[in-house]
Amino acid sequence: MSPDNQAAARVAVAPPSHAFVPAPKTPKVANAGLFRVIVIGLLAIAVLAPVGLIVYQSFLNAPFFSARAKLSLDAYAYVLNDPSFYKALGTTAMFAFGMVAVAVPLGGILAFLITRTDIRFKRTLEVLVLVPMFISSIVLAFGYTVSIGPTGFLSLFVRDIIGFVPWNIYNLPGMIVIAGLSHVPHVYLYVSAAMKNLPSDLEEAARTSGANIWQVSRDVTLPMVLPSLIFAASLNILLGFETFGIPLVLGDPNGIMVLTTYIYKLTTLFGTPTYQLMAVVAMVLVLITIPLVWMQRRLLRNSRRYAALGGKGARVSTLKLGRGGQITALSVIALWLFVSVGLPVGGITVRAFVNAWGEGVNLFSQLTFANFDGLLEVPSLVRGMINTMILSVVGGALAVGIYLLIGLAGHRNNGISNTVLDYIVLLPRALPGLIVGLAFFWVFLFIPLLTPLRPTLISLFVAYVVVGLSYGLRLLQGTLIQVAPELEESARTTGATIGRTWRDVVIPIVRPGLAGAWALIMIIFLREYATGVYLMGAGTEVIGSLMVSLLQTGAMSTIAALALISIIMTGAGLALALRLGARIHD
Amino acid sequence: MTELIVENVQKWLGGLQILKGASFTATRGSIVALLGASGSGKTTLLRCIAGLEQPEIGKIVIGGKTVLNGEAKLALPPEQRNIGLVFQSYALWPHRTVRDNVGYGLKLRGVNGDETAKRVQAILDRMGLGHLADRFPSQLSGGQQQRVAICRALVYEPRVLLLDEPLSNLDAKLREEARYWIRKLILDLEICAILVTHDQGEALAAADNILLLQDGRIVQEGAPHEIYTNPNSFYSADFLGANNIVNGKIERVDGGIAVFGGNGWTLGGTVRGGGPVSAGSDARAVIRVEQIAVSDQPAPDAIEMELDDSIYLGDKWEYRLRRGDFAARAHGTRKMEPGKVYARIPAESVWVFPNGA
Repeated sequence: MSPDNQAAARVAVAPPSHAFVPAPKTPKVANAGLFRVIVIGLLAIAVLAPVGLIVYQSFLNAPFFSARAKLSLDAYAYVLNDPSFYKALGTTAMFAFGMVAVAVPLGGILAFLITRTDIRFKRTLEVLVLVPMFISSIVLAFGYTVSIGPTGFLSLFVRDIIGFVPWNIYNLPGMIVIAGLSHVPHVYLYVSAAMKNLPSDLEEAARTSGANIWQVSRDVTLPMVLPSLIFAASLNILLGFETFGIPLVLGDPNGIMVLTTYIYKLTTLFGTPTYQLMAVVAMVLVLITIPLVWMQRRLLRNSRRYAALGGKGARVSTLKLGRGGQITALSVIALWLFVSVGLPVGGITVRAFVNAWGEGVNLFSQLTFANFDGLLEVPSLVRGMINTMILSVVGGALAVGIYLLIGLAGHRNNGISNTVLDYIVLLPRALPGLIVGLAFFWVFLFIPLLTPLRPTLISLFVAYVVVGLSYGLRLLQGTLIQVAPELEESARTTGATIGRTWRDVVIPIVRPGLAGAWALIMIIFLREYATGVYLMGAGTEVIGSLMVSLLQTGAMSTIAALALISIIMTGAGLALALRLGARIHD
Repeated sequence: MTELIVENVQKWLGGLQILKGASFTATRGSIVALLGASGSGKTTLLRCIAGLEQPEIGKIVIGGKTVLNGEAKLALPPEQRNIGLVFQSYALWPHRTVRDNVGYGLKLRGVNGDETAKRVQAILDRMGLGHLADRFPSQLSGGQQQRVAICRALVYEPRVLLLDEPLSNLDAKLREEARYWIRKLILDLEICAILVTHDQGEALAAADNILLLQDGRIVQEGAPHEIYTNPNSFYSADFLGANNIVNGKIERVDGGIAVFGGNGWTLGGTVRGGGPVSAGSDARAVIRVEQIAVSDQPAPDAIEMELDDSIYLGDKWEYRLRRGDFAARAHGTRKMEPGKVYARIPAESVWVFPNGA
């Protein structure tokens, strides 16, 4: 017997593989399946119930609680025959696209300056340029009214000098410019991330092939970051369709309506609640935004593929701006910051401390705390401040807990439930806060068991959790994914169940990230104003929504004081977030 | 005592079959090495044993308990398999001290505090880590982290210890020390260990039994000495050792002995690998570098070759030899001048594999 035969006899040779490959069937493993199904199921109910109620209501001829309500298409017929609906739809589209035309180029330039050049004060600028994102648009809009509105501080000042006010913000172009400027950070975030990941050897290769800096920007940099620009544009179109505060403050006085303000106005138009009409408009809005969200999802996937091509997060060599360039670039950024933060915040600050102003009035002689004293005298306003604090601080923490549970349910989950989760999360992004609030208001009316909760903060909290879902979950998922898989696997092989692994390994490791997420969610809840418009009642007032209802009464002094408090709270939240090391750049 | 039985484990990833029916057994107090190039499926096999991957077909029994049975759709999760796994990256939990990292498995098994503290301290002392118990993993060197990882996997006395490339993150000198003490430790504790490695030196030095994997299959199994000196295929012969690969034709066959040659040269060789061998067929030969002895004096059993160059390697010289289209490397203790030399290549060291074997 030859030696190799001996060896062969000892080898356990596999049977020859079959002609067909058997369908891979994975045996069941303890994978926290029950937990995942329950959490994702509950989330699905929380998201689908309000949406379902909107759909149902839109096909009724009266509010769903009315005895007369029956299935009909009357509401669709009314809305689709209403010329002002089409006007609002057209205005919304122009507003959204106009906003993109302003925000995308500016955001792109800003991202280029901050990531690819040697601009001074880079660290500070990186944080500063994001500030407009954190101020609620109702506050911003109000701030513009008091600073550059027809009788704003700056307008009066300019009129004193040149005899007239050379601008008007109470028309569509004015609204577009203001909304566009305040949405620059959204563009900056995505484009700067793409530019940071762009390895500079690609550009250097073009330089050494003989291209000058502008040719490189045009032929290499721009095409490489194009997916992120397109993504940012589509995101802004979505935000444009959902925007409420700016059109309400700046457009409404001149009768300029967008879809969200059209819904809002339907309430006052008829005197009685016309839920079916509001539901129809909400349907139209959602039918526009869902494809947008869908498109973004695809874009994001593609742009990730693009980024993966660019190799490692490579060293970025920066472009030298030179002295003239530095001055120009910094002036552009300073001007933008002045217009989009300085003007509104400054206006509100001044307005909060004066009661009378006008030509020939010395503002310094008018300084007063009367506006704040006034706040404290109205119980609903005091409650609003307290509720806002509770909702954002306590509610924010609870929300992080909920997002964490949802994040864990989707963490390393390759099952069907994860696909369900993926789609469920998309839906709230397509829903403006105004509509989420309205829908939850209906849910709490519709389900008898929940009705006692409606006049409590719980109703607002649930709606806020849904509104903040996509942002909050992205924060949490980003944190969870950073835990190396071996750290979890080693706990499993040591003998821990998947639940123990989460409790003993995953959560302790992500804890610092949770604190940062809490601060950011807190800001999101602080600045929220649209969700509470319908949902809040006596006892559950929140600052943002109070401002919306005060606008109707024209109590400008009160609004100014509230707005300033809101800004201070947001500033404190932002400082806390930075302190906790939150990754606001995500 | 058999601690681990792996039977016909097959795994697919999408349409790709990664494991094509691996079977082996491992006993207490011995080390089995899974050796193979990257992509051979060795790590996947280890992860299937650990329960971190689920094979579609096959059966795995650990310590008498069936943990995987493809037919019965039974697959116990990792935590119910009573194993210890040492990760390539060590995977120490950064938020826990050394003591807590090591003690975690005992805590999970409901061992009380005093007993845990005693056993953790005992194993840390044994590994020379006793004074580091209160440090965090980030405060340890690579070698210390590796020993902590081994402590953590051993302290609760698992039935099978799985080691996934445990030495690859250590520098070369530390690695040789580590493979010695890991082997000693496993033999002392009489545990059953499975070691995944791509480093043949590690497998040969540390294992009692080597399983050589190729493309999702175990192609050869044997003791280190046997697998090194008695390979059953071209792949096994080529994978281990430092080799000369020679292409040529079989001129004559006489039982297991063949005369193998090419353009201007012939060598006596031993036919290996299954399959029929006939005169005139193309073949490849594997000659271990250390089997060629080079001399500048003619000898009756040596063939004359041209020496192109001698290369200094520190502890030895490497000779670059040539005759016609036969090129070879050999080692020696001294520098030789280029020119005619005489190489002794014993026929039992020229392993001839018919092409395709």
